[in-house]
Amino acid sequence: MVGSDVFRAKFFSLYLPLTLYLVFLLFPFYWMLIVSFKPTNDLFDMKFSPFWIQQFTLENYLYLFQNTDFITWLKNTLIVSIVSTILSLVCSIFIGYALARLRFPGSNFLGLGIFLAYLVPPTLLFLPLAQVISELGLNNTYWALILTYPTQLIPFASWLLMGYFRTIPKEIEESAMADGCSRIQILFRMVLPLSVPGLLSAGIFCFTLCWNEFLYALIFMSSGSMKTIPVGTVSDLIKADTLFWGALMASAVLGSFPIAFIYSFFVKHYVSGLTAGAVKG
Amino acid sequence: MKSHPKKGKERVKLSRRDFLMAGAAGLGVAAMGGLLPDMLLAAKAPAFKKGTKLSILQGSYFIAPSQDLYKRQAQEWGEANGVEMSCDFLNWPDLQPKIAASVQAGGYDIVELWGGWNYLYKDNLVELGDIAEAFGKRNGGWERYVELSYKVGNRCLGVPHGYSNGSMAYRISWFKEAGCPNAEDGNKIDLTWDEYFAIGKKCKANGHPFGQALGHSTGDPPGYCYPYMWAHGAMEVEKDGKTIAFNKPQFVEGMRKFIEGWKDAYDETGTSWDDSNNNRAYLSGQISSTFNGSSIYFTAKKNQPEIAADTHHILIPKGPAGRFYWLDTRTFAILKNSKNVPAAKEYLKWWFEDKQFGDWWRSQEGYMLQPVKKYYTDPVWFKDPKMAPFREQPKYGQNMGFAGPPNEKAAMAWSKYIVVDTFAKAVQGGDAKQAIEWGAEQLKRIYGR
Amino acid sequence: MAANARLKSFSMRDFFDRERNLGIMLFMAYPFFLGIWLSLTDSMIGRAGQFIGLRNFVDLLTDTIFHQTAKNTFIYALVTVPFKAMLGLGLALILNRHMRFSSPVRAAVMMPWIVPTALSSLGWFMIFDPVFSPISWLFRNMGLISKNINFLGDPILAISSVCWANIWRGVPFFGITILAGLQSVPQELHEAAAIDGASVWHRFRHVTIPSIKGVVLIASLLSIIWTFADFQLIYILTKGGPANETHIFGTYTYQIGLQATEIGMGAAISLYMFPILAVFAILLLIYLRKEQ
Repeated sequence: MVGSDVFRAKFFSLYLPLTLYLVFLLFPFYWMLIVSFKPTNDLFDMKFSPFWIQQFTLENYLYLFQNTDFITWLKNTLIVSIVSTILSLVCSIFIGYALARLRFPGSNFLGLGIFLAYLVPPTLLFLPLAQVISELGLNNTYWALILTYPTQLIPFASWLLMGYFRTIPKEIEESAMADGCSRIQILFRMVLPLSVPGLLSAGIFCFTLCWNEFLYALIFMSSGSMKTIPVGTVSDLIKADTLFWGALMASAVLGSFPIAFIYSFFVKHYVSGLTAGAVKG
Repeated sequence: MKSHPKKGKERVKLSRRDFLMAGAAGLGVAAMGGLLPDMLLAAKAPAFKKGTKLSILQGSYFIAPSQDLYKRQAQEWGEANGVEMSCDFLNWPDLQPKIAASVQAGGYDIVELWGGWNYLYKDNLVELGDIAEAFGKRNGGWERYVELSYKVGNRCLGVPHGYSNGSMAYRISWFKEAGCPNAEDGNKIDLTWDEYFAIGKKCKANGHPFGQALGHSTGDPPGYCYPYMWAHGAMEVEKDGKTIAFNKPQFVEGMRKFIEGWKDAYDETGTSWDDSNNNRAYLSGQISSTFNGSSIYFTAKKNQPEIAADTHHILIPKGPAGRFYWLDTRTFAILKNSKNVPAAKEYLKWWFEDKQFGDWWRSQEGYMLQPVKKYYTDPVWFKDPKMAPFREQPKYGQNMGFAGPPNEKAAMAWSKYIVVDTFAKAVQGGDAKQAIEWGAEQLKRIYGR
Repeated sequence: MAANARLKSFSMRDFFDRERNLGIMLFMAYPFFLGIWLSLTDSMIGRAGQFIGLRNFVDLLTDTIFHQTAKNTFIYALVTVPFKAMLGLGLALILNRHMRFSSPVRAAVMMPWIVPTALSSLGWFMIFDPVFSPISWLFRNMGLISKNINFLGDPILAISSVCWANIWRGVPFFGITILAGLQSVPQELHEAAAIDGASVWHRFRHVTIPSIKGVVLIASLLSIIWTFADFQLIYILTKGGPANETHIFGTYTYQIGLQATEIGMGAAISLYMFPILAVFAILLLIYLRKEQ
């Protein structure tokens, strides 16, 4: 009897609201998933319930693999996202650490300036950046994105890391310094190992934004097979006024579900990184 | 890399041999005549700098085999001339940012330009009058709509290759049910807007409304609204390109009829539709008629033959001021900042020869309207009688910004969807006069500057 | 003491020499200053313009479409924030409870934020379809409505629908950030309060709320800054239509600056949002400073 009461209490306070949230947040993905398994003619047949699959098919996935360069897009997206995440992290570690520990003239304005400059929307920024990219001869190479993404990522990532570094007691570093360690040694041997959750959450943040980015990827790197998943999906699966819904959704599913799966391993660190870093910031 | 030029030479030889073999294969003398210029061209293939590359940007094709054909053609020329070719096909809305970046920073040599864009990028395009005029003359002269819009002033900054078609697709059986005479043959139907709405009223009463996109979308909404406006005696500007001629009593009257027609005949969710919504609605049997390119019909032929059999096309209806189509010219143009202008010119010259252009145009099966008169009588138009109405379309073509030129201001009005939004406002608010006054005010801001 | 002195004397130069530092700053700031310059000219894409002072800005003041855009942006970026914060708080409170499979559940609720907007917006595009919307289908079959819901075509529904999708995308970020805040509340505080006989509501009001106030503020400011400059979502769903009822700064800038190629005017539109964003950004930084 008591057990059922506890269950009922937990049902109303936990499982019911959780279910509602999951429906609210995941319904679009459920929708994408079932659309990707439906034959095209069933998609717009109003006789059937749109919430179920009448006739299961893999034709959309086959189409994706046989008629498009999906594997190449995946490879491109991975390379660009991983390298620019690493690059952003490295820069953000230095900047974040400098901001956390060091006072130098103009340090406040530097941060503010970078932050403000990037309030101008990318829809406007991409033209001047295109000129820079083209003058450097980087058009349609991975470098075009690897070098531009960090400009969007570093401000937030270094701010996040700054917060995390501040949580590490200064005294540890001071005593190490008294022992003759250099600042760089301290950073790499002591601070970073203590900051793994912070690094993870900053890394996840950067990776997500790279993975999602569309406009720069379209402008700087979209010729031939040099496309990322979002760009390739939109440019190869929309033909004039006809959208290949099944294949579009198949691509969206393959482009996002694996990432969500990987996240399930990191999400704990992500939260704890945020806790210590941004939150106490 | 060193072996590359050699490879190119080998390919030239190969392609020459191909031509010879084709000749030797016993084609008739007439065919030889047709091949001869090609052979000569191949034989004296101009030598381009080693490692020359040409990159071409255009919108993705609805007709997929046509896109493959274009790639093959480019490849063929590239191999014959030792030029490395790359062709990119983008989703339509992504075309302009990519061209903009290319204009500012370089990237593409040849780009496809849509209506009015030759004006927008006029300082950045190479004069191509010689190629265009030769192409036009050889093929019986330009169609009317091309004549109106392919030049910027008197400069010719791109070679016209046509325009995608658009007409009223309709369901034969439902039009019959609504009492439309000759419903089984769209070629025999000639409707006014009033008559068209009257049929729609009956169709909607039978549970099959018409459908029309009025959202922010670059194809169908302006393709429908501009002709309706012109057919009711209004236009954005007079011939001087300055005096607004939008707020005309006849147009206000026409707009009242449209508001009524929208309620009686149309699926009223159309205010949010874009170019793709009506395709879906039509192909699933939700609507009985809509303004669209032949893409609906082609998709139906492939996937839903029963709907294709029950579909036909009619010309867009006429109004008190006549019948109009919004048609601009699409061109292939060369960017001034291209490092390979001579090669790009040579390629365009080759591609616009009868063989290449003819093959390409025919592969579109009527989806792309003819830019030149010669193709008006091409067998493509007679293969399927349901495509024949599209053939007549070029005669009624009018550029955006008519009666002015299709210049930057017309492009601005088009980009801001002023005319389309006037229609959307009218059906949302129900006040024809107020909506048109809003539109006139906005047009004054654009054209009056 | 010595160590302390060394800490103080440490300068940025240890990490970046001054020139490289300047280079990075220029690379980042160059587009910004170019944007300001463009907004003061009548430049078009591929055509250098003349300096025209503030004319673009003055012109916009009398542009009714711009007024509507400003109003829409305000709704889209600000009015949605309380909804995101409330829903995010609820989500965080649930996720903070002890449960099985908490990692997969947390990863699952993060999905709206993880998935590329370009792709998830296409999903919403289908769900909001005027004819085939599954939501319309459901309500119609339940007999609640007789006509399809015109999600993106009715003036009020259109802005509500894009806001809905925006909230959907933002809730996970709020949820996970607030969750981080909740977890930083020492358990002893709750226990102490419970021993003192405080009710659940009291504990929530006096222990939980104060400890997450900062996080909510930070998340709100970041969310405002990000959605003010949003583009993708609206561009895919409506492109600002119908009749400009969903236009926001990002899409209007794109329309004028890229499609009509009046890049000067486009720059002016996007710079109009700059002071507003700057205020929020400065508020954010001041808050952070105070916290230190």
